[in-house]
Amino acid sequence: MLDPHPTSFLSQRRLENGKDAMVPIKPESPLNLPTQKLSLGCPVLDRLVRGGLPVGSVTELAGESGTGKSQICLQLLLAALRPPSLGGLSAASLYIHSEFPFPLRRLRRLLTPFAPSSVVPTPLDHIFVRPAHSPDDLLSLLTAVDALLARPPSALPVRLLVVDSIAALFRSEFDNTPADLKRRSSLFFKIAAKLKEQARRFEAVVVVTNQVVDVVGGSESYGSSGNAIRVGNYGSLWSSGRRVCPALGLSWANCINTRIFLSRSDDIVRNERALVDEESDDRVHGTVVRTRRKMEMVFAPHLPEASCEFVIVSEGVFGVEAQSEKSETPSPTSQI
Amino acid sequence: MEIANLPISPSHRAKLLSAGYTTFSSLSAVSPSQLARDLNIALQEASDILKVVSDITRSESLHGGNAILKGAQTAWDMLSEEQMQKRITTGCDDLDTILGGGIHCKEVTEVGGVPGIGKTQLGIQLAVNVQIPVEYGGLGGKAVYIDTEGSFMVERAYQVAEGCIMDTLDKFGHHRKVILDCQEQMQPNSFLANIFYFRICSYTEQIAVINYLQKFLAEQKDVKIIIIDSVTFHFRQDFDDLALRTRVLCGMSLKLMELTKTYNLAVVLLNQVTTKFTEGSFQLTLALGDSWSHACTNRVILYWNGNERHAYIDKSPSLRSASAPFSVTSKGIRNATSQCKRVRMM
Repeated sequence: MLDPHPTSFLSQRRLENGKDAMVPIKPESPLNLPTQKLSLGCPVLDRLVRGGLPVGSVTELAGESGTGKSQICLQLLLAALRPPSLGGLSAASLYIHSEFPFPLRRLRRLLTPFAPSSVVPTPLDHIFVRPAHSPDDLLSLLTAVDALLARPPSALPVRLLVVDSIAALFRSEFDNTPADLKRRSSLFFKIAAKLKEQARRFEAVVVVTNQVVDVVGGSESYGSSGNAIRVGNYGSLWSSGRRVCPALGLSWANCINTRIFLSRSDDIVRNERALVDEESDDRVHGTVVRTRRKMEMVFAPHLPEASCEFVIVSEGVFGVEAQSEKSETPSPTSQI
Repeated sequence: MEIANLPISPSHRAKLLSAGYTTFSSLSAVSPSQLARDLNIALQEASDILKVVSDITRSESLHGGNAILKGAQTAWDMLSEEQMQKRITTGCDDLDTILGGGIHCKEVTEVGGVPGIGKTQLGIQLAVNVQIPVEYGGLGGKAVYIDTEGSFMVERAYQVAEGCIMDTLDKFGHHRKVILDCQEQMQPNSFLANIFYFRICSYTEQIAVINYLQKFLAEQKDVKIIIIDSVTFHFRQDFDDLALRTRVLCGMSLKLMELTKTYNLAVVLLNQVTTKFTEGSFQLTLALGDSWSHACTNRVILYWNGNERHAYIDKSPSLRSASAPFSVTSKGIRNATSQCKRVRMM
């Protein structure tokens, strides 16, 4: 039961030996906080996020289906295995999926480019996969994950946690009534608090993926009804020619530290360019449908507004350098 | 204190009262010789009585004038004290203007807004700006940063500290002596070292830390600002009993209010926004409910106005409702880039 006035200045923390203990609360110096980052596996994309995804915080990848969310997640699983000198964490990872069978074949195809046996001997031994079927299932799973993080079964510590996708878990179970929405957002905060606690305690990178919903009723003004409330750097987000916004609403947006938006748009072009997305290489009547993919920084405590185009090829997800003279690196006075 | 309780001999007290000296003020203007004549006592005795009276009057005025309670102050004293206080600048001139010069010490200021509007940025900025040395017109204080969400990024704090140092030196560029005096302080690393960072993972820890601050601040007198980013996060889960949540939150805000007065520091609470279901439609409002809205002295709401970030004074006992644009740059919070339509008073 809740004691609103704890008499001791103690807090529960897990010690190195895996035991829970009460340790006194003490301030830390920011100079001693962990600042490690996990590379996305591509120098261009890494430049967009200034070196990679930070440990100790929760990063969301939002986008409609087929924008490359899971692709990036798979790439992260392998990148995490690499030593810190190559942008990795020398760490194992846990992949919690809710959407489809785990894309094992795709993962195996990425092994050679990202985790060759010369760098990481047995990569697949260090990737733990577990399905989750409902929000409550995820919550109890995360509680059990504490033990996995404290005593990793493999030789490497588990320092990457991927939940793909959080939206799929919440899609079916809740009605659009105030009571259900309240129950839903309370679950968001419970799940997010657990993820953040684990990110902090084990210096782990936490990545969750989210779907998008179409924006209905277009008003952008403050306090407008519906889901058109502006969150982050962009007044509106577009994907496949539709105006969309990340699913799960405002409460969930309060639960994450960083939001990255992935979008796609299909252009019909006559001439094939050098870098063409292989996934959608449909030839219709002599024309080529080229998919332009974009990664946009919606909000992040440490990053300015920025965006970057990328492609998905058989070797993985790669950023495309901006062709024009305006560089991706922001000028000193640019807006965040 | 009255004449009847004056620490002098009882016969003198009786003589004072029978001669008509019933209050302290009646004794304030009288000379020793006149008093000696009125009471029919020796001159030396009369001047002794007056000395006792003036001693007591002086010590009473030191402890708050005509205060009937120890620790109470007159409004006049409070006004002059407040005018002496320095404000913590936000880095944006327009925002400082509507805040009455910046964030006030001895007050609890709540800042709310949608994700990505710049709450954490403002929090980091204040943790840095409070450290601007006195020589440069700052407070030269330290900061306590209570992070409940994990959004405090060291690399960002470093950037903001760098930006703050650069702009402060630019402003005082012509005073070479000051620069030499504070060279050691004016380094990003020493700015970071003066932030006491607490990372909180549950609401019990949050309450425990706020209880602990009482003891901590007694040792760290230099702390001039406490930032909680955000006060909300752990209170939006696990609370089925909303009355209990309200009680816990009220207890917390009373403690913070007390800390601001005892240690003369500012408290800034960052809050999230939520949609509230009223009269059949969803409205944006700050989280934690109606009773929480009484917990803070000032309430500032950050919002998007087109493509520009704006701040709005939603509630304050002394500031008028106003809004001002601001921007978040790589250096931190700064003036909005567009120069037109500056401060708008309402």
